[in-house]
Amino acid sequence: MIRQGILIVMLLAIFAVFIVSLSDLDQLYQTSADYFREYGAEQTGSNNLVTAILLDYRLFDSLFEAGILLIAVSGIIWISKHDIEEKNARFMLDKFKTPDLFVTFSRLVYPLMLAFGFYIIVNGHVSPGGGFQGGAIVATAILILYYIDAEKETNIGMIVTVEKFLYLTILIIASLSIFTRGTFFTNVFPYDTHGGSNQAIYLVTLNILVGFKVALGLWAIFTAFLKEGR
Amino acid sequence: MDPMLTFLVILIGMYGLSTSKNIIKSVFSVTIIESGVILLFLNLGNWRGGSIPIINGAADIIADPLPQALMITTIVIGSTVTALALMLCIKVFHHYGTVEWREILRRGEGK
Repeated sequence: MIRQGILIVMLLAIFAVFIVSLSDLDQLYQTSADYFREYGAEQTGSNNLVTAILLDYRLFDSLFEAGILLIAVSGIIWISKHDIEEKNARFMLDKFKTPDLFVTFSRLVYPLMLAFGFYIIVNGHVSPGGGFQGGAIVATAILILYYIDAEKETNIGMIVTVEKFLYLTILIIASLSIFTRGTFFTNVFPYDTHGGSNQAIYLVTLNILVGFKVALGLWAIFTAFLKEGR
Repeated sequence: MDPMLTFLVILIGMYGLSTSKNIIKSVFSVTIIESGVILLFLNLGNWRGGSIPIINGAADIIADPLPQALMITTIVIGSTVTALALMLCIKVFHHYGTVEWREILRRGEGK
């Protein structure tokens, strides 16, 4: 009990330090939004400024984000590979225990979710969304597919191989700008002032690649957990 | 006021992380801290109360898109790290038969 009291006092001290440090932060976060609003759309050709930052200004960050996803998926599969015949854990995904209403409704909702995910991915540069979010939605749709057909067999190794090739493709496309613009990791097409339709091609391509990569990664994670339970 | 409330979420996660006796509860505490960090960044990015960061010629004040782009990174990495931690939890359970911290530490000392 004394330990918990000391812990709470320490946490409250951290909270007090935070309040003091926040008192003069008003000016800090007001400038960059104005800059992005002023120049973001014409420099990157993307209406959605979050996509503009993810795929143009800070593409280097996004590449490593996708790389960390790939590494984590590989780690999960490597950890789960060894003693797969352990029978302690039992996953709750059992076709005979799933209610019929749920299965029927999943059949109804599955194509809608898939189409919605593709819409989010493809329209990532004009409306809210993008590769990462749409990829998560597509992965959720695939997750629902397991409720429809619980006996579905998937080959994790093939999924991860495809994901690796997608990641290599993303790296190559991101590096192509050294030939056209002279710098790494930005838009391939040179800066144009009217419309920016060429830049939209690049954004859509990279959004689709990133979306499929994220979807495959999350699918592999989920399949690894499923196989752990069988 | 809102950033302070989000920081309270982080503190709740820290409290759970330092008092929980179960590995899975520790993983959940890390997830709670991560949610607090995400909320904190989004709040600080929208300090002025602007609209969504999408250019359509209407909004004068927009929310800062930079913290939002960073938080996408955090969400994706956080989900994968949580999945990795839970997979390690499964392995620990297969090996020790329990996911209580004290029990596992006691058996580790016994060897």
